[in-house]
Amino acid sequence: MTFWLLVIGGVYGVTLVVATIKARQASHNSDDYVMAGSNVGVVLGFLTFGATLFSTFTLMGMPDFFRTHGIGAWIFLAVSDAAVAFVVLWFGSKLRRRVSSKDFKGMAGLMRDSYKTPWAGYLYFATIFIFLTPYVAIQIRGISIFLNAAFPLTLPDWGWAASIVVVMLIYSEIGGLKAIIYSDALQGILLLVVTWVIAYGCVQNFGSIQLMFDSVREVNPALLSTPGPKGLFNTQFLLASFLVILFLPLTQPQLATRMIIMRDMQSMQQMAIALGIFAIAVILPTVAIGMYGAVHYADVSASEFLAQVLLHEQAPALAACVAVGLVAAAMSTSDSQLFALGTELRSLLSGKEKTIMIYTRLAIVCFAGLAFLFAIMSSEEMVLLARVSFTGTALVGPMILTAVLTRRKLGSEILILTATALALFLISLSGLIPTSLLSIRLELLLLLFLTIFISLSVLCRKSLELKTVS
Amino acid sequence: MKTENKAKLLLWRFCCFAIVVLSVLTFTPLIIPAGTFEPSLFGVPFTLWAGMLIALAMIILTIIASIVHPDKYDNVNETE
Repeated sequence: MTFWLLVIGGVYGVTLVVATIKARQASHNSDDYVMAGSNVGVVLGFLTFGATLFSTFTLMGMPDFFRTHGIGAWIFLAVSDAAVAFVVLWFGSKLRRRVSSKDFKGMAGLMRDSYKTPWAGYLYFATIFIFLTPYVAIQIRGISIFLNAAFPLTLPDWGWAASIVVVMLIYSEIGGLKAIIYSDALQGILLLVVTWVIAYGCVQNFGSIQLMFDSVREVNPALLSTPGPKGLFNTQFLLASFLVILFLPLTQPQLATRMIIMRDMQSMQQMAIALGIFAIAVILPTVAIGMYGAVHYADVSASEFLAQVLLHEQAPALAACVAVGLVAAAMSTSDSQLFALGTELRSLLSGKEKTIMIYTRLAIVCFAGLAFLFAIMSSEEMVLLARVSFTGTALVGPMILTAVLTRRKLGSEILILTATALALFLISLSGLIPTSLLSIRLELLLLLFLTIFISLSVLCRKSLELKTVS
Repeated sequence: MKTENKAKLLLWRFCCFAIVVLSVLTFTPLIIPAGTFEPSLFGVPFTLWAGMLIALAMIILTIIASIVHPDKYDNVNETE
């Protein structure tokens, strides 16, 4: 396998270098560097959006979710992502009508301008910093643990993590967002092909899809329905996850940016459709991989199951593709988020463009360094921490939605309410307050209260404006 | 507004409404009945195939919505 790893890793590396050089040549000013020239077509658009959305979690977390918690994982991610395609179509159009790609510097800047106070920008930036940095760290941590388990005695965990961070920084610092987009496209294609080939092998092992589910029924019938054998996929968990995932295109800066940098409105709308199809195409094969694991690796750890199914059971060339694909997936999600943190900081800065760009590039290096430190210190609960990260950013969703949908004067009470909700959520994570109230999950309650109070704030201010006019 | 555009606007609103209905439906026992995997379809358990249909319907609605999106006939610049 080492031979194939060198060949496929080499091909991937050379393609990445060529893409970075091409991106560098196409970049003539800071907007080209940060916004990829705002001229991204449909194919590149959905591949970069999809690759940024689907992290290593899709190839590692989803098969393990199906194996451990059963078919409810489909509702958890596939139905949610199909709905996300509609959200991208709807919200993307609203966002593009609100700001032009030339004026758009970042969501933090948009919040500052909409709420007419820098505190709105600071609040958004603080939120994504608090929740995205750990998410990047989890990505890097997850893949370094996997690589260490798959290739023992090669590099320690921290060595794999450091290598990933350094490669990521090199191409994103040189080629900017365009280089990241090319890397995303490569990863998206690799992820799709690899999961389908492995899934085909899994189904072949049983003989047919029907026989596969029959085998699962004999081993653990609870896997074939919700809430699954461990009770994870209950209605509240699925609903909370659904809402949190729906908010991703609004709240995650790397996704919002990808709606803005599309060539035109039509390209953005076609990208939304392609994204929905891509999501289903990527998630569908993970069902078979998970069901295969449920029958053959029911009692082993997640990392052992993944190492066996994704690497050791596969032909050397395919296993090498998986290993390279996993590293690429971790890098494409992480570099997009780190780059987005840098560009969001840029949108809050003022002064000479050259100085701002130096600060932006330095900030990206600092954020990557922090993510690396968190990666070597963080726990292995990758999936649940990732979910907390999404939940945290979802709490700024109502604030962002209001800023994009209305042009009326927005009150600072919206910012205070959002900050309070975020603080309560963070305190609940530390265990000082309960994570549910009257058996309802705290994040659901917070989202509900934010939606009600922000709507009331907008309506009250509207009626006050009308009274003043009359 | 032309009649054709009115029909498109109506269809756009229907798509938005249908997405909300499908989303709500997904989290009811109609789609996720606790502990039940029958009726299965070609061996695929109920929640899985019903979830696949829901996802498929959402994508079809997204395709229709992109065709009848108000931006196509609102005659406005991309940025207001």
